[in-house]
Amino acid sequence: MPRPFHRDITFSIDGREVTAPENTILVDAAKYGDVEIPVFCYEPKLGQPVGACRMCLVEIEGIPKLQTACSTPVKDGMVVHTLTDRVKEAQNAVVEFLLINHPLDCPVCDKGGECPLQDISFGWGAGVSRFIEPKRHFEKPLSLSPLVAIDRERCILCYRCVRFSQEVAEDYQLVFEERGAHTYVSTFNGHPYVAPFSGNIIELCPVGALTSKPYRFRARPWDIEQAGSVCTLCPSQCNVSFTVRDDRVLRVLARDHKEVDDGWLCDKGRFAYQAIHADERITRPMIRDGGELREVSWDRALDEAAAALGRARGKVAAVVGGQTSNEEGHLLSHLVRDVLGSSDVESRVAGAPSAELRVALDHPDLQATVPDIEFAHAVLVIDAEPVDDMPIIDLRIRKGVRRNHVKLGVATSRPSSLDPNASAVARFAPGAGEAFLAALNAALGGGGVLSELAEAAGTTEQAVRDVAALFDATDLVILYGERLLSGPRADQTARALLNVAGKSFERGRDGAGLMEIPAGTNSRGLREVGCVSDRSPAEIAEAAAGGDLTALYLLHTDPLVDLAGEWEPALDRATTVIAHSMFLTPGIAEHATIVFPAESWAEREGTVTHPDGRLQRLRAGIGRPGDVRACWQTLAELSKRLGADISILTGSMATAQMAEHVPIYAGITHDELGGQGVRWQERDAASAYPGDVDFGPFGLEAPPVRPRPSGSELQFATFRSIWGGPEVAASPALQFLRSRPRVLLSPADAQRLELFDGLAATVAPDGREAVEATVHVRDAVPEGSAFLESDVAGVVGTAGIRKAEAAVVV
Amino acid sequence: MSIEVRRYEHGSRVPGWDEAADLSKDPAQVPDPATTPVPEDLRAEIEAHMANYPDHRSAAIPALAAVQRRYGWCTPEGIEQAACVMRLTPAYLVAVATFYDMLETRPVARHTIYVCTNISCSLRGADELLAAFKDAGDEQEFNIRGFECLGACDIAPMASVNGVYVGPVTRDEVPEVIAALRQGREVLPDKHLVKRPVADPNAQT
Amino acid sequence: MTDPILFKDIDEPGLRTLEVYRRRGGYDMVSKALAMTRDELVHDLEISGLRGRGGAGFSMGKKASFLPKTTMDKYLVCNADESEPGTFKDRELMTKLPHMLIEGIIIAAHAAGANRAFIYIRGEYQEVADILDAALVEARDAGYLDNLPLVVHRGAGAYICGEETGLLDSLEGKRGNPRLKPPFPANQGLYQGPTLINNVETLMTVPHIVRMGGESYAKIGAANSTGTKVVSVSGNVQRPGNYEIELGIASRELIYGLAGGPPEGREILFWFPGGSSSPVLTKDELDVPYDFDSMAKAGSMIGSGAIIIVDDSNSVVDVALKLASFYRHESCGKCTPCREGTNWTVKVLERIQSGLGTPMDLDIMASVQDRIIGNCLCVLGDSMAMPIGSMIEKFRPQFEEYMESRREVAA
Ligand SMILES: Cc1cc2nc3c(=O)[nH]c(=O)nc-3n(C[C@H](O)[C@H](O)[C@H](O)COP(=O)(O)O)c2cc1C
Ligand code: SF4
Ligand code: FES
Repeated sequence: MPRPFHRDITFSIDGREVTAPENTILVDAAKYGDVEIPVFCYEPKLGQPVGACRMCLVEIEGIPKLQTACSTPVKDGMVVHTLTDRVKEAQNAVVEFLLINHPLDCPVCDKGGECPLQDISFGWGAGVSRFIEPKRHFEKPLSLSPLVAIDRERCILCYRCVRFSQEVAEDYQLVFEERGAHTYVSTFNGHPYVAPFSGNIIELCPVGALTSKPYRFRARPWDIEQAGSVCTLCPSQCNVSFTVRDDRVLRVLARDHKEVDDGWLCDKGRFAYQAIHADERITRPMIRDGGELREVSWDRALDEAAAALGRARGKVAAVVGGQTSNEEGHLLSHLVRDVLGSSDVESRVAGAPSAELRVALDHPDLQATVPDIEFAHAVLVIDAEPVDDMPIIDLRIRKGVRRNHVKLGVATSRPSSLDPNASAVARFAPGAGEAFLAALNAALGGGGVLSELAEAAGTTEQAVRDVAALFDATDLVILYGERLLSGPRADQTARALLNVAGKSFERGRDGAGLMEIPAGTNSRGLREVGCVSDRSPAEIAEAAAGGDLTALYLLHTDPLVDLAGEWEPALDRATTVIAHSMFLTPGIAEHATIVFPAESWAEREGTVTHPDGRLQRLRAGIGRPGDVRACWQTLAELSKRLGADISILTGSMATAQMAEHVPIYAGITHDELGGQGVRWQERDAASAYPGDVDFGPFGLEAPPVRPRPSGSELQFATFRSIWGGPEVAASPALQFLRSRPRVLLSPADAQRLELFDGLAATVAPDGREAVEATVHVRDAVPEGSAFLESDVAGVVGTAGIRKAEAAVVV
Repeated sequence: MSIEVRRYEHGSRVPGWDEAADLSKDPAQVPDPATTPVPEDLRAEIEAHMANYPDHRSAAIPALAAVQRRYGWCTPEGIEQAACVMRLTPAYLVAVATFYDMLETRPVARHTIYVCTNISCSLRGADELLAAFKDAGDEQEFNIRGFECLGACDIAPMASVNGVYVGPVTRDEVPEVIAALRQGREVLPDKHLVKRPVADPNAQT
Repeated sequence: MTDPILFKDIDEPGLRTLEVYRRRGGYDMVSKALAMTRDELVHDLEISGLRGRGGAGFSMGKKASFLPKTTMDKYLVCNADESEPGTFKDRELMTKLPHMLIEGIIIAAHAAGANRAFIYIRGEYQEVADILDAALVEARDAGYLDNLPLVVHRGAGAYICGEETGLLDSLEGKRGNPRLKPPFPANQGLYQGPTLINNVETLMTVPHIVRMGGESYAKIGAANSTGTKVVSVSGNVQRPGNYEIELGIASRELIYGLAGGPPEGREILFWFPGGSSSPVLTKDELDVPYDFDSMAKAGSMIGSGAIIIVDDSNSVVDVALKLASFYRHESCGKCTPCREGTNWTVKVLERIQSGLGTPMDLDIMASVQDRIIGNCLCVLGDSMAMPIGSMIEKFRPQFEEYMESRREVAA
């Protein structure tokens, strides 16, 4: 669905001639003439207007009744009045009506001072009420969920929260019950409203009816400041605004960015700020001494680190976590490569495609943007679960399907929450992404025997054909998970993907393309600043375990959970393990010899790159706690101590230096990025992108034959849910959501293995330690596959699953 | 006579307003067929309704009515079953159920007696009739409700007894209605509205 | 008075069955209508002057002509929700003449180009819905519905589902909240498709127009109010019931002549000419001709054609409270003025009833009604505000007297 185009028209409002794009909703068009029309229910982010509150009534010449400005598109020559007696009377009336049932408890209401109802009553109300009957009284506040409190006395039934649940998040958990003046916001039978995006309703509520439990009574609007930045907890990189009081983050709000987040946040981004001020946070440098990590001065830690790295010269490897900024990535890469003469700086979580294939995949001509998802003819999601991997994209996909009739295809191993919205769904066996792409390539006429390839992928010919049917669309966007292109056969898979892309859209066409859903927040940026090595993480681990590498630098990552490969022996064997981290996660607590405290995402300066190429600026909203220092500063300091001539005094200098070394980012400054960021593909420096690219089509190898699992063995993969990660674990308010081991089974397998929903099972992945997990029987799980929710991502293969010893029903 | 100021009527008397979510429960998503057993006949009935419409959600009211027929009221389990068949969240259905007067979301007695107490009927003694029903019928057995205009003002005051319109009903006949229901007899057979000829004298041409 | 059209031989035994209905010439008009082009049929309906019998009184033919001539799915929905207090004509018609409705629907669907039809019947009418379902089986078996899937959809008790857009939401399986207009149902109605919505009586008149020809039909009734209308008369009258009248007859004749007037020794205090939503008229306004325009001129409306007579044994305050309570109960709650305005009005009336009213309350109440009218999403709010406003305006002394007496009782 192509983006709508609107010509400018002229209309008159309160006697002023105003020019605005045709068909703009009057409320918004009025703003072109600096006229404010009060609204409660109108919120374009929520879809079609509902016209419920009646606050926006205006007079339009030629129409006898007052009209709702929130539902009227502006037309050329329209004459609108918002200041006539009739309009004022209607506005007074609506305010009076709304206030008859609204308690006047503003002094003790969290919304007081930032409340649209207060503002509108002041601006458009008559100032008196003639209502003398007793007001309604109910118990308050009540829990709507562990995160949200509801005060039903205050609700003005504006429909915003329920529309969000029903028409944006589509979780349809929050509804109105009863009708008329009895109507109230509720959930089914006392179930809490728990969903990945539930917190948005707090921000949407125009009164104090829905409040954030973690924020309640922590501050008044005049105590706080807002600090804009970017959330780095996942690749969505949503624009946020930190509510800061006394140098503490007390709340996170969305900072609308149409091209990134559409003004929404997930609950992790909204509530995990608590981790910033958690007691568990590391705030001082530490050195392992007699087996224990002990706090030391910065000087001592830096000296020791520099000395140890110096000793290990040539035998140093660095692994870089997804939350690392471009600057940090660049500086570490400089340190390891240029200063220490090693070549292993790796930011990818598992084996990845070769540089030439990566250049093709990331080529600006193949790059889709976030808004493309909304306006494409069709979107295909391959081997990713957006709600877990890049949550805000889930909302964008839903929006496209719902509002613009985008056709959606979902090709994954694990059932996706997007399945009900999809016109084509294909399930392939865990790890069989390559075979699926090869099958798709065959279905699109790219060669190969479809039936055999579908069989190899563990899917059906029909499913592949259904997905292939989406490729009739002119503008097709393919979203693929980084894990699709991970592992030993990454190159073959990447070639298959490029073949499929070649069949699906014209290179260079706006509105179509590929977009990666990466494993880490800044995976793309880190690749682009050079955090890529010739060796995969597993090979690095092997080298370290074999004694070929003696120092390991862990930047914002714990290899035991984040990376593929056998890391335990590697960490054991290495003489020096330097970690830069906010928390003592298991691998770090156990193995690090030197620990530097890391800044939280609210304290950092620097830039990150969105999966679609948008560089965005991180700004510090609060000061660093304790002895925490900027990470770029620490890395620069280490280089200096090791004899490199590097002098960086500020965050913007770090950015400038990084930009100097990355041709496609050349000249980027904080000022240029501003509050909205900029896509590098749209800057002149993009011409530095390598030319002479081979996009295929490539001849494809036959995908490997998967061993057939038997007995209690099932095809198996782990997945990390949105609630994984140390930030969630350290946020008290999110404890109830914290990811716990659960294994998803098909009804048939569950029956065969005598496992029931809620039972504890032992899951023993091939060649790994067994874990205990709760059984969740799910109709949509294909027979023969099992999926384990775990912080340890990316394990694929087979696993034996049986009833746990002394199994108890949870 | 003391002055009684009626408090806001829909205060705590409306079930639901004062209820908090039970934080120990899981969120109510679309019920998974693997863990939500649905009686076969109920599933068949709901699916038949769904087939009547281009958009299967249109079957929400018929599905809820089927649940109510089966369980006596729209029980949470029944709503979950319907939600499972229709691939909706139970919240969707409960939002619908609570909107409509005839769908009960709390347990009610087996026999339903709606007495119309709207203007036309009340002008002819409906309020007294309702009071008489309430006096005569036991709450455990009879769901007796004053109802908005039932569209039978020609037989005012009237009642809909388990869906059968009868009227005019006098207060004296109330015990007979109750007795007939208890004994499974037809209620006031001579006063069934469907059997009544049109009032218009010109129509008898 | 012309001969009855809808009520002709309405009590004939077995008329509910296809056999008897067909023996009387039933379904004959289907083939005649289907032989006409859509435009011819719409034209005939337009010149017949038939105005909607559900309340708004909009030209049936014109509404059918609004449906676009595209090939997309189009719908016809019969509004059989009949919940307006005092109205019971559709019930009588459907109970006795279910096949006439089906015939009307088939013809109207052709006029509108609709390929799917629904009858939305209020859930309380279980017996009637069963009768319709039985007739539907017969009609289907006889092949009348081969090209028009028709489903009887039962509501579940909500007045607002009579409002056409609330009905559509309800039929889509949602809460029956009215929608913003525009878009109007003719452009974007059921499932977003073009939809013609008509009342039962309107649709049942359609075969007769086809039979008589639009021009002859237009000769019946009054100017701008052609044809006959079934009027439900109820309340304090001696012979409550449905009467088919020729539009334009004197209201007095209808109320006294046909329905027998108020009981012996009683006088009319006021009356609702068109259901409880219509502004009330007094006993001095009984000579207003019963047609759309005359009623409008008299400051009221014929609405659904339901006359409720309130005699002088009643108090206007009690009726006002009943009425306001009804609208409060039935307000869907979506828009502010209706939800809060109906609620506020009830509370003031309750306070007046308990003896704590003052004349100032009447001013406030009147102003509340003014603030509802025209400001709501649909006209349910106005449906309370107009009659209550008219009661306060026409019966202020009675209100004040009442307050005085209640105050004394309370003291
Ligand atoms: C609150 C409200 C209730 C209504 N109830 C009914 C009803 O029960 N039956 C009906 O036919 N029309 C009812 N209407 C009118 C419908 O909205 C609509 O105008 C009518 O169905 C159109 O059919 P007609 O043109 O044949 O009259 C109601 C309107 C409102 C505002
Ligand atoms: S709780 Fe808030 S957002 Fe929801 S309907 Fe009420 S006022 Fe609107
Ligand atoms: S903002 Fe227009 S009706 Fe609410």
